[in-house]
Amino acid sequence: MIKLLNVSKIYDKNVIALDDVSLTFQEGELVVLKGVSGSGKSTILSLIGGLVKPTSGEVLVDNKKISKIPDHFVSSFRQKNIGFIFQKYNLISMLSVAENILLPLAPLNLSRLEHKERLAKVLGLFSIEDKRDVVVKNLSGGQQQRVAIARANINSPKIILADEPTANLDEKLSIEFIEILKELKSQNRTIIVATHDPLFFELDFVDRVIEVKNAKIVL
Amino acid sequence: MTLTPEILTIYILDGLFLFFATIAFILSIVIIKDWDFNATTKLQYSLEKKSYLTSTIIKYMFYIKLPFFLFFIFTLDNISLILPGAMCGAGVVNSNEYATILMFLKLINLYLFAYWILLDAQDMKQEEQPYLKQKFFIFIGLYILLVLEISLEYSMFSSIDVKDVVDCCGAIFSTNDNTYLSKALSLSPWVLLGVFYMNFAFLILSAIYKHPYIFAILNLFFILISLLSLVAFFGTYIYELPTHHCPFCLLQYEYDYIGYFLYGVLFVGTFNGLVVGFIPFTEIEIIQKYKISLFFNFIYLVTVTLYPVLYYLNNGVLL
Repeated sequence: MIKLLNVSKIYDKNVIALDDVSLTFQEGELVVLKGVSGSGKSTILSLIGGLVKPTSGEVLVDNKKISKIPDHFVSSFRQKNIGFIFQKYNLISMLSVAENILLPLAPLNLSRLEHKERLAKVLGLFSIEDKRDVVVKNLSGGQQQRVAIARANINSPKIILADEPTANLDEKLSIEFIEILKELKSQNRTIIVATHDPLFFELDFVDRVIEVKNAKIVL
Repeated sequence: MTLTPEILTIYILDGLFLFFATIAFILSIVIIKDWDFNATTKLQYSLEKKSYLTSTIIKYMFYIKLPFFLFFIFTLDNISLILPGAMCGAGVVNSNEYATILMFLKLINLYLFAYWILLDAQDMKQEEQPYLKQKFFIFIGLYILLVLEISLEYSMFSSIDVKDVVDCCGAIFSTNDNTYLSKALSLSPWVLLGVFYMNFAFLILSAIYKHPYIFAILNLFFILISLLSLVAFFGTYIYELPTHHCPFCLLQYEYDYIGYFLYGVLFVGTFNGLVVGFIPFTEIEIIQKYKISLFFNFIYLVTVTLYPVLYYLNNGVLL
């Protein structure tokens, strides 16, 4: 379970991103955070992922106070429990698909065999087996997004945070992405998607749609 | 006032130390005053950021301070070239009233800074940072010592007068005076050696029977007996001269800079031994510290022992 308790986040120059927000996400839930750019959706994801600390308030993930613990503990927690999917994919364009996907495993010192097994699993899950050795910059947007999703899943995280995942995809590819989300939800992953893409708002497998407006939750 | 490029460098670095240490000192007070790990207020989050900054400042100060100490010794040695009568750093140290206290204070500060680094590392290993207030409280004390050290350093260098004739190390570390040092140097070498080797044997025993406090105390004693036996006995074999009892000449080119190695090894060995009594390590960590401490102290012991042994093998007699 993920909890945000009275969380406020003020960036430099007094930009208020979140103002006294309290939220709870249950395990296995798929929640869509909707709102215009700058409303505070991405900040919520960053707080849950431990990428930023709140200005005040508390963030708990599985009862772990991730907003309170030192950064190196947060990094370790994030590595094991959280997968990120970004709008711009954030892949390393000069590396191959396999190298990009395996990057989160680098600090874990796993065996070559373990790498191979995990890679084969996610390549199959997201139907990109044939792209294994292709350099990422030569892939289309949709294919790059699949690689990003595969990378987010290489550690089998319990929580997946997706920030505007379909912003750079056309409608067909967006629907493909939604199918992937459905598959991940069926595996009891907690998924939080920050988006303003209306495709997400009427999906039958989405548990909740939460609107974020002017740094607050709209009730 | 004597101003050589080395002294000028020391002044500039002292200024930088003072500047950053003062920032860390002020932040430490602010942190200690309002720190509450469980609070989720704006103030607490801001203190958490400040605590990382302060720890980083203190850590880097130590990382610079360690080689800086060697540079200080090198500077003393260099100044001896322009000071009439001085043959090495000992003459410079003896040329004014501040230098001896400064040397001891520098050594104590080195040990304390290293202790702080280890305490910080222990603190950062735990999510709740249980030693946070303690480490910043210790730094406040360290800051006072650091300011004292910098003041003494300034006083020492500014009171050196190149027109004054000073004693050389042969006169300072003579066994013919009525000073405490002379009396210590006049002790029977067999007594000194007995205590020195017994001390090391007890170190091994206290590690085997896992008595961290006794191990720490024995390490403290080992520093003293090691330095005394080095100056009184082993050093004479390094110099191959029975009347030469200087702890500074060991740092010179003529003796292969062996002093830097001996003092460095002794520092690492005794420091790792001392901390087991003062830092709440896990059992595995304590065993590691025992091993590191014994290893480096053993290297020291073997190195100094080799000099008289080799001398005897080469000459068939002892000095």
